[in-house]
Amino acid sequence: MTSKRRRFVALVAVVAALALVVTGCASKTDTGGTDGGAKEATVVKIGIGAPLTQGAVALGKGMERGANLAISQANEDAAVKDLGITFESVSGDDQGDPKTGVTVANQFVSDSKLVGVMGHLNSGVSIPASKVYNQSSVVMVSPASTNPSLTQNGLDNVFRVCTIDSVQGPSGADSAFKDLGFTSAFVVDDSTPYGTGLADEFAKQFAADGGKVVGREKTGDKDSDFNALVTKIKSLNPAVVYYGGIYNSGALLSKQLSDAGVTAPLMGGDGLYDGEYIKLAGDAAAEGDFCTSVGYPIDQLPKGADFKAAFEAAYPGEAIAAYDAYSYDAANVIIEAVKKVAADLGAAKVTTLEGKKAIIAAVAATNMEGVTGAVAFDANGDTTNKVITLYTVKAGAWTAYVK
Amino acid sequence: MSGDVIVQQLVNGITLGGLYALIALGYTLVYGIMLMINFAHSEMFMAGGYVGLFVLKALTNEAWVGAGTVGFFTGGVFGLIVLFLIVFLSAAILVGILGVVIERFAYRPLRHAPRLAPLISAIGVSIFLQNAVLLWVDSKALPFPAVMPVVTVFKAGGVTVNSLQILILVTTLLLLAFLDTFVSKTRIGKAMRATSQDRDAAGLMGIDINQVIGLAFFIGPALGGIAGVFHGMYYGSVKFDMGFLPGMKSFTAAVIGGIGNLRGAMLGGFVLGILESLAAGFLSAGYKDVVAFAILILVLIFRPGGLLGESVVEKV
Repeated sequence: MTSKRRRFVALVAVVAALALVVTGCASKTDTGGTDGGAKEATVVKIGIGAPLTQGAVALGKGMERGANLAISQANEDAAVKDLGITFESVSGDDQGDPKTGVTVANQFVSDSKLVGVMGHLNSGVSIPASKVYNQSSVVMVSPASTNPSLTQNGLDNVFRVCTIDSVQGPSGADSAFKDLGFTSAFVVDDSTPYGTGLADEFAKQFAADGGKVVGREKTGDKDSDFNALVTKIKSLNPAVVYYGGIYNSGALLSKQLSDAGVTAPLMGGDGLYDGEYIKLAGDAAAEGDFCTSVGYPIDQLPKGADFKAAFEAAYPGEAIAAYDAYSYDAANVIIEAVKKVAADLGAAKVTTLEGKKAIIAAVAATNMEGVTGAVAFDANGDTTNKVITLYTVKAGAWTAYVK
Repeated sequence: MSGDVIVQQLVNGITLGGLYALIALGYTLVYGIMLMINFAHSEMFMAGGYVGLFVLKALTNEAWVGAGTVGFFTGGVFGLIVLFLIVFLSAAILVGILGVVIERFAYRPLRHAPRLAPLISAIGVSIFLQNAVLLWVDSKALPFPAVMPVVTVFKAGGVTVNSLQILILVTTLLLLAFLDTFVSKTRIGKAMRATSQDRDAAGLMGIDINQVIGLAFFIGPALGGIAGVFHGMYYGSVKFDMGFLPGMKSFTAAVIGGIGNLRGAMLGGFVLGILESLAAGFLSAGYKDVVAFAILILVLIFRPGGLLGESVVEKV
């Protein structure tokens, strides 16, 4: 009896331990730190919070690449060496899940050397995580969270370099109605803060423009069966189907629409802007689908070519995903602020509370030319750069839409 | 809503229900014999999707099997049938073996432990398998190659039925018929029924209990594996966490039909699939899970044994 019970307890403990290991682990990848000359350099850590194993992994991995590129370049910079600091990156895998995101955030702030976080991707993760960072005065610069409410909670440490959904959604609606001539739309979202916000903004503007929203539905972000919804869409025969969500499910919706013979294209926001979308939906189904994404296409920007060259040298064979350049800029915003504070207060004070507060103030005053355009923040912490580009799938690749 | 839309939603529901039914058979078969809910079963479904994907990729890779073989497989109807027979058989057999291995190492040592122990062990296996695929295969969704052409078989008004939908339905019904006959007519089927009634007494009568349980853990996962391949073909991708939602729904289907009862699992699968599709079509897509689980609660309140389940008399 007792031995049986003991075995049972041991088993539960093993399972519980296993569960802990698989859910909350933040993987450490230290880059940089090549302490060449400066022996006494102060280590300043920057957290990278992104979905790396679950969720929108293709975008999350890109964020990690972009930020690490910025950090390794900073460590090569003579000015940084002179200041006596060296940057280190710490990756935290938020799995696109709010609960895991908060765990990652708590791990980040428990490290006193960590002064800023480049992240997160999903608005649903960024919003709860931002509160954790605020309590420890750690600055957060998101390259990708576009839900408007992120910066409207009165937290002074929260910034983002991407345009928000209340700009992106209406811009998509204007493109759909005015440029593409779609007069009716069926609007679907994935029930996440990102997807719902985007779809709501789209529907509002589309109706205001004079278009007809023939249906408004919610699905789950992990759903794979949309056939019942597709049948409903087919019977209403809209000119375009708008999907607020991420490419994983969006691609399946596009495929099932096309399988059922619906000719209306699928349109979405930046969550669809990745090659994975086309792979999962299949070339035939994805062809002619639309998405909006923040900023100009990289190759149209002055610093784009430099970034592309540096990226290809650092990550041969990898394609630049939607947020690589934004993450590069977001990490640079933090790096520049750290440099300024190190120059003003001295390297040793950067990782103190005083230093962290000074970094937040320095980020708020950012005014730099980034890869994605001019980077500066308004009073809420939103970027002043509000450009949206419309993309379409052409010959199996996302390309900027030209009328 | 017009009649066409209702019929089309029924077609959607029957296809989805067929997938649920195939998975539910695995839950119910194992429960019938072991009185244990195999929560790792949703991962058998996932594993089937991956095995199907890799076998299909290997067999259509010219560098591996030669251009002639690929040409044969993709060239005509006969080649395609052979190709998919191989894909389905390998998914069924490999996932079946996986099921037997899991039973041997994760459940058999706990056979005489309190009933909660194997349940927890099953959850552990489920988490382990998901993360194994996540770490060693890919965390991204992998596209399932559309090697088999999907043709419209029937089209009238707004209703279309394609070949894949018919294939799913026919396969599900054939497999149920086969399993039903196997359990009720054959000698080993009789041994399975005896084991499910009283494991210890069956053992005393000379039935090899380990063999019977092993067989249940081969057939159940094999059916789940076949459902996984269908899921990959029907929805076009496989992902390490693809088993979770269908697994939950199929478990629900098994309970609705009366867990332990093979025909009940089938009935429960179709009932759930059809109601879910109608709910998504006529209420809102957001309500389909609400409807599915509301039905589960209603069935449990009014027929606790399930639609086709026998009411169990409490033994004193």
